[in-house]
Amino acid sequence: MKSRLKDFFEVLGPSYRIIGPKIENGVVILAEIKYGDIPAGYRDSQKPGRYRLSPEKDSQVFSFSSGPDSFKRFLNPPLAELFHFHRFETGLGITSPPFSEKGGISETGLPICFMGIRACDLWALKLYDRIFPGGRVRDRTYESLRRNSLIIAFNCLYPSGNCFCLSTGTGPEVKDTFDVAVTELKDSFLLEEGSARGKEILGLLPLGHAGERQSLEKRERIETCKALFRKSIAADELPEIIFRNLDHPHWEDIARRDLECGNCTQVCPTCFCNTSYDFVYPGGISGEDKCNLELSGRRLRKWDSCFSRDFAQVHGGNFRLSRKARYRHWMAHKLAYMQDQFGLPGCVGCGRCITWCPAGIDITRELEALRPHS
Amino acid sequence: MKDTYDKSLPFAASIRWIKKETRDTLSFALRIEDEHIRKAYAFAPGQFNMLSVPGVGEAPISISSGPSDDILLHTIRVAGDVTTALSRFEAGNVLGVRGPFGNGWPMERAEMKRLLIIAGGLGIAPLRPVLRYMLKNEKPNASPAEIPPLIYGARSPRNILFRDEFRSYAAVFDVHITVDKADPQEHWSGNIGLMPPLLDKISLSSKAPDTTAFICGPEVMMRCLIEELLARGLRGENIFLSMERNMNCGMGTCGHCMFAQKFVCKDGPVFRYQDIAALLAVKEL
Ligand SMILES: Cc1cc2nc3c(=O)[nH]c(=O)nc-3n(C[C@H](O)[C@H](O)[C@H](O)COP(=O)(O)OP(=O)(O)OC[C@H]3O[C@@H](n4cnc5c(N)ncnc54)[C@H](O)[C@@H]3O)c2cc1C
Ligand code: SF4
Ligand code: SF4
Repeated sequence: MKSRLKDFFEVLGPSYRIIGPKIENGVVILAEIKYGDIPAGYRDSQKPGRYRLSPEKDSQVFSFSSGPDSFKRFLNPPLAELFHFHRFETGLGITSPPFSEKGGISETGLPICFMGIRACDLWALKLYDRIFPGGRVRDRTYESLRRNSLIIAFNCLYPSGNCFCLSTGTGPEVKDTFDVAVTELKDSFLLEEGSARGKEILGLLPLGHAGERQSLEKRERIETCKALFRKSIAADELPEIIFRNLDHPHWEDIARRDLECGNCTQVCPTCFCNTSYDFVYPGGISGEDKCNLELSGRRLRKWDSCFSRDFAQVHGGNFRLSRKARYRHWMAHKLAYMQDQFGLPGCVGCGRCITWCPAGIDITRELEALRPHS
Repeated sequence: MKDTYDKSLPFAASIRWIKKETRDTLSFALRIEDEHIRKAYAFAPGQFNMLSVPGVGEAPISISSGPSDDILLHTIRVAGDVTTALSRFEAGNVLGVRGPFGNGWPMERAEMKRLLIIAGGLGIAPLRPVLRYMLKNEKPNASPAEIPPLIYGARSPRNILFRDEFRSYAAVFDVHITVDKADPQEHWSGNIGLMPPLLDKISLSSKAPDTTAFICGPEVMMRCLIEELLARGLRGENIFLSMERNMNCGMGTCGHCMFAQKFVCKDGPVFRYQDIAALLAVKEL
């Protein structure tokens, strides 16, 4: 019964670039996948600064949890072209990349289907839909990659050792923002529609009927999952714990352990900071070394991190000169500022920053240390 | 207002003329090339543009012209890559512009309340549109009590920006200028010293609680002056300051300009002091 998941791939394959989980270098990453790529039956063990993947000999398909990747690498690519420029003494030509009206990346012209996105990441996606607005100031890259993207969400049944979405209220169950929600049951998958498009797609699949029994099993499985969580944060005390403790001595303590590698910002599904810069085509320069020379190139945007030393640098100085200030900015952005900026939680409890921190810095414990009486 | 052009892409603007203001500061008068954009382009005093020298990069620069002037003016101090590249441009050359961005000054207060304008150094750049606006909309027969004070501080007499314009501002404003120091050969007979003592020269006392202040300059200067203003009875809710941070996108998607939860590029650059006072008190936010 469970191999019927393959039907999804057959139905969606021609019209979507299916992005889903796959093993690479011993890690579950996201990539353009085929049905056979799904790491069925693998289980991960995640601890602060540690990730191990091993085959589990049960009949579950989705027993693994999130790896370092998230949708963000696909909707907000680590390196994106903003426009092409051609500049000459008395003129300037700007051409934007050929965004596809259908959505998705221009080369294939296909919109993206996210297969197996989890509840925490759906909250992050919702946040991204506010960060990169389609309104007054458009972000054309995000807008076109997001356009017509299809969301096949999965309810988590096994939290990793670092997951704490239960306490942030962002998981483990998917509630909205999806087209189809999938719950893995003992012998089958329960599919639920979340949009008109989802309904249409379910109509194309040879499905059996689901009834009371399946709904009950889904509930039981989600409740079992909830009992497995080992980490939590005091989300109901946010953002006050942060705002009241901006001068807490504990920031100094974290700064002594922090390596400033920026891993946490790269893996966090809600981190979005970036820097754009101009890339001039080699040979694109003619004339003397004066500024009215003719040249062409591209403006590129790359992921950046508030841990970069010059991130808040200006001509006269650096607004976050100390490591303590940079770590505080990151954690405060996640746990306090984002809620204020976008009306949604900035930390969705995915635990990625904990797993992928080489120093094993754990945001849940650092927050705990800031709390009074802890 | 809805923009009818894409603010994520630079549009071409040609340089009409360039004026050397001081040793390291130049004013550029720009004309937007595309007719459609030229018509759609409208800004509020205090907003800024991202100026692009493709191949070098982009820099946020305040708009210094008045809202109804027929050229777009930018007054730029040579600081680093982009501003140096701009300083090598000549009239007729074309650069890229994105904008306008930011919120601007609460201009309705310029009409309603008694205004106090304080600028330090290049901080006059985002305030010049306010000055131009008020010059144009001069209130006839303003009583002396209503004349808004304008305080400006510069490093030295030769660093005074828009120096030849202050005479015309004196028709509408009660102008007070001070310089940090003056060489004898500069023949300066005006004030020498810091800006706070100038606050004693303007009569605030009874009007202080109703006075709105617009301030722009180096952050240390603004912090110090705000303290003085509060001590003189101005209210935190009536003090507005324009902040500077590192900026890359101008649209709130790059994260560089964050000042705690505020995006200086879109929630600012103009902030009501009261709204950020607690944040200003914390170092390195
Ligand atoms: C809202 C706003 C309005 C401004 N208005 C004016 C103006 O009217 N006239 C004027 O001369 N200057 C103004 N500035 C300052 C101006 O933007 C900087 O001097 C300029 O960005 C320096 O760019 P650069 O490429 O020449 O220097 P760089 O070679 O970029 O060197 C300066 C360093 O500071 C970084 N940087 C990024 N943003 C800023 C910033 N805002 N200020 C300083 N450094 C920055 C650069 O990335 C780099 O690390 C304004 C800044 C802001 C935020
Ligand atoms: S801060 Fe850490 S746990 Fe929270 S969303 Fe980001 S990566 Fe996940
Ligand atoms: S908290 Fe950890 S992952 Fe983040 S920058 Fe510091 S050492 Fe790197």
